Amino acid sequence: MQAWLEKVAKMFDMAFVSGERWKLYIKGLGVTLEIALFAAILGLAIGTVVALMKLSTNKKGGKSIWARVANVYIDIIRGTPSVLQLLIMWFIILKSCKNGVLVAVLSFGINSGAYVAEIVRAGILAVDKGQTEAGRSLGLSKVQTMIYIVLPQAIKNVLPPIGNEFIVLLKETAIVGYVSLTDLTRAANQISSRTYEAFMPLIGAAVIYFVIIKILTILLEKLERRLRKSDNR
Amino acid sequence: MIIVKDLHKKFEDNHVLRGVNYHVHQGEKIVIVGPSGSGKSTFLRCLNLLERPTSGEIWFDGQLITGPKVNIDKIREHMGMVFQNFNLFNNLSIMDNITLAPVKLKLMSKEEASENALSLLARVGLKEKADAYPSQLSGGQKQRIAIVRSLAMNPRVMLFDEPTSALDPEMVGEVLDVMKGLADSGMTMVVVTHEMGFAREVGTKVLFMDEGIIMEENTPSEFFSNPQCQRLQDFLSKVL
Repeated sequence: MQAWLEKVAKMFDMAFVSGERWKLYIKGLGVTLEIALFAAILGLAIGTVVALMKLSTNKKGGKSIWARVANVYIDIIRGTPSVLQLLIMWFIILKSCKNGVLVAVLSFGINSGAYVAEIVRAGILAVDKGQTEAGRSLGLSKVQTMIYIVLPQAIKNVLPPIGNEFIVLLKETAIVGYVSLTDLTRAANQISSRTYEAFMPLIGAAVIYFVIIKILTILLEKLERRLRKSDNR
Repeated sequence: MIIVKDLHKKFEDNHVLRGVNYHVHQGEKIVIVGPSGSGKSTFLRCLNLLERPTSGEIWFDGQLITGPKVNIDKIREHMGMVFQNFNLFNNLSIMDNITLAPVKLKLMSKEEASENALSLLARVGLKEKADAYPSQLSGGQKQRIAIVRSLAMNPRVMLFDEPTSALDPEMVGEVLDVMKGLADSGMTMVVVTHEMGFAREVGTKVLFMDEGIIMEENTPSEFFSNPQCQRLQDFLSKVL
C-alpha cells in the first residue's frame, strides 16, 4: 500500500509539479478557451445571418438566391470533417497567416456557424406564424417584426441546443494540435511523451475539460431558467 | 373605401376565391358569414395582403394596393386586423404590445403612445392589466387587448377574422361588446364571424360567401328573414 501511494505521488509530481509543468496545462487551457470563446461568438454571428438567409424568400415566395448560397455553405461544412477544414484553412487558404489561434478561430467559427444556422432556423420556425402576421398587420416591416417579436421568442427555443453546440465546439478544439497549436490536449500529450507516463497527464486533462464543461452547463441552465421565468410572469 | 375587383386566390390546385367583387364604403359594418372552407377568411386576409391574391384588384382609399411598387407596410398602418387566435406578442407586456408599432413606426413618441394605450385600455376595462403579460390573461381579455393594439394605430378600417371563435362561450359577450362599441363610434369594419346575433344587430350589410364567391348580399333584416338563394336558406336553417 505504502509503495503504491509513493508511486502515485511520484507520478503526480512528474506530471504536474516538477519543472513547473502545471503551468503548461494552464497555458494550454488558455489557448483552448480563447479559441472556443471567439469561435463560439463568430459561429453565433454567422449562424444567425445564415439562418435568416436560409429563411428568406424571393418575390414569388420560393427560395431566394441567399437561401441557395446558405444551403451550399451548410452542405460543404457539414459534409467534411472539421480536422480537414482546419488543415485546409492552415495550409491552403490562410497559408501566409502565421497567427495559429486566429486561423483556428476562423476555422471553428465557420464550422460552428453551419450547425448554429440550423439551430437558429429551427428556433425561428418554432415561433407561431401568427406572431409574424400580427406584427406585419400593424405595419411593421419584415425586419422589424423579426427583431422585436420573432427573434426574442426564438432565443428561448434555441438555448438548449446552442448550449450543446458550444460544448461540442469546446471539445472539438482538441484537434488544433494538428496545426501545431499547444492547447490543453496537446500540452498533456507533450508532457506524457516527455515523462514516458501517460496516465496522469491524460486523465488530468480530461478532468479539466469535464470541470470547465460542467461549469458551462450550470451557467446555461441558470440562464435558461431565467428566460423561462419571464415567460410565465 | 375598399374596392375589390374580380379577386382570385389559388393555393396550388385549390381555387379558394373565384372572382370576388365588392365595395366597402366608409362607416359600413360588413359582416361575412358562410360555411367553413367558403373562402371568407382568405378574402379578409387578402384585403391587407396577408395573402397575396392570384389575380384581381384591391383598391384602398383610391390606391391600387395589389399593384407593383406599393409599400404594403404603409397601407397596413391604416388597416387594423384582429385574429382568431389573438396573436398577442408573447415576449412583450400588454403596454409594449400596444405601443410597439406606433413607436417603432415613429407615429407617436413613447409618452404619447403610453398615454393613448392607457385611455384605450380604460375603454375596454383593462387598464390594470397594462403591466401584465399575455400568458396571464384569459382569452376574452387577450382579444380585447388585441383590438386595442390595432386601434392604437388609428386605423381607417378594422378587419376581424373570426374574433370570437377561439373563445370560451362565457367570454364571447365581452369581446362582442367591445366590437359593438367600436361600431357605434363610426369605425368602418369588415367582420368574418359565426355570431349571427352580432351580424343582425351590428351589420349594415351581411354577405354570404360559399364556393369562393359572394353568393348573397343584403341588409341584415332582409338577409335573415328573406334569404334568396337555396344555399343560404340551407345554411341559415342549420345555424339559426
